[in-house]
Amino acid sequence: MKKVSKFAAFTLLLLTVAYCSAAEKPKTVPPANLVRGAIGPFNSNNEWENYSVVTLIPGASLIPVTSTQTVLYLGFSAGSEADLTNMVLYTTAKGSSTITAVTPVTLGSNSSPSIVLSNTSVCPTQPLSVTSVCIVRLDPTALVLSATNDYYFVVYFASTSNNGSIGAAQPTTNVSAIESWYAGNENYTTLTVGSSIPSNSFHTPDFLMYVMTD
Amino acid sequence: MKTKIASFVLLLLVATTFAVAQEAVGAPAHKAAPLTTVLSNLTEGAAGTPGNNVDWEGWSEIDEIPGASLFGVDSTDSYFTIGFSAGSTVNITSMVVYTTARANNVVTKVTKLNYLGKANPSIDLTSTTNCPNQPVSATNPCLIKLTKAAVEMVASNDYYFAIYFTSDSENNTMRGAGGSNQSGALTGWQIDGDDGLIPVGGTIPVGDAGAAPLFLMYLTNE
Repeated sequence: MKKVSKFAAFTLLLLTVAYCSAAEKPKTVPPANLVRGAIGPFNSNNEWENYSVVTLIPGASLIPVTSTQTVLYLGFSAGSEADLTNMVLYTTAKGSSTITAVTPVTLGSNSSPSIVLSNTSVCPTQPLSVTSVCIVRLDPTALVLSATNDYYFVVYFASTSNNGSIGAAQPTTNVSAIESWYAGNENYTTLTVGSSIPSNSFHTPDFLMYVMTD
Repeated sequence: MKTKIASFVLLLLVATTFAVAQEAVGAPAHKAAPLTTVLSNLTEGAAGTPGNNVDWEGWSEIDEIPGASLFGVDSTDSYFTIGFSAGSTVNITSMVVYTTARANNVVTKVTKLNYLGKANPSIDLTSTTNCPNQPVSATNPCLIKLTKAAVEMVASNDYYFAIYFTSDSENNTMRGAGGSNQSGALTGWQIDGDDGLIPVGGTIPVGDAGAAPLFLMYLTNE
């Protein structure tokens, strides 16, 4: 009976070790790009009061990375405070301008945040410049990007004096997969399902830097 | 009774072992196969035909590897491949990788690279050991994969590969294998002098105009 008890105890120990090994925390996977983001060197594209910026995230450019969410990052190259009125992410069928879904985008659960760029907890490296861009991570959205769609991230900057002095980090070369256009005196964040994304000429992206898994 | 207890415990042990093995491999036990990796690009490398630049004695090339372009391949190491389209011997003084925060030009880390254990290799382009297909030409470039570098590329950083060619006559005639057009994620620029000496806290030199690299071709996980 003693032998059986010893064998049972040894087996229990083995089971415990095996269980602990299986439960070991997996390697943390760093955030991955969903598309090729904004690539420097950067210019500073300034003065954004009462402007909308429309940035295309083409489904054709998606990197096949598994993700359950989408995280957008903004880049500021100048300014002390950015006052955003609204941010949205429109979905269209690939190559179509008709909106099929509207997803709100927030920062700190706020869709109209004021971002204090002069605060080192927001922008650790001061002052902001084209070689010291402040990267702001927006809240994750539950939207999972699909290669069968295109996506348009739109941000509207309120008509405030603060926005007159902010700068968008804008790549000087056309190496990124995302691209933007902008329009003054227009708030394009209020478009609804079934309406169309206005057409315009795209150039290298303004503000939107990265589209990532986290 | 003893036999029954022992058998039960043994059965538990076997079942647990199978369960653990199954979980570790991530596939049904009957389909379990050892984990393997395949050669994967960490970013989109260079393509196209070679440019026509010569006279590299005493010059450096710096190539940006943007974190924003990384594919998300899980790799703790990186392999850098450089390419040549002409020449007989290439004399390299140093090769390094600078790490910066993304969209920032301040160097936060410097990693030295080497080829076959040498940080300042002379590469004989006429040797079939280095360049199996002879002669090396624009349509038959020689690709040199450097020794594995302990650089884990993450999207929250940018990386800059810098190579400095020794100031000697042999570097007059060699040419890079890239550079005629921009069709990848990498960009490169050239600077007269040694840019392999930037310390942590130093800044990446200006000059990136979005041109394709002349020497850095690929960045892979193995």
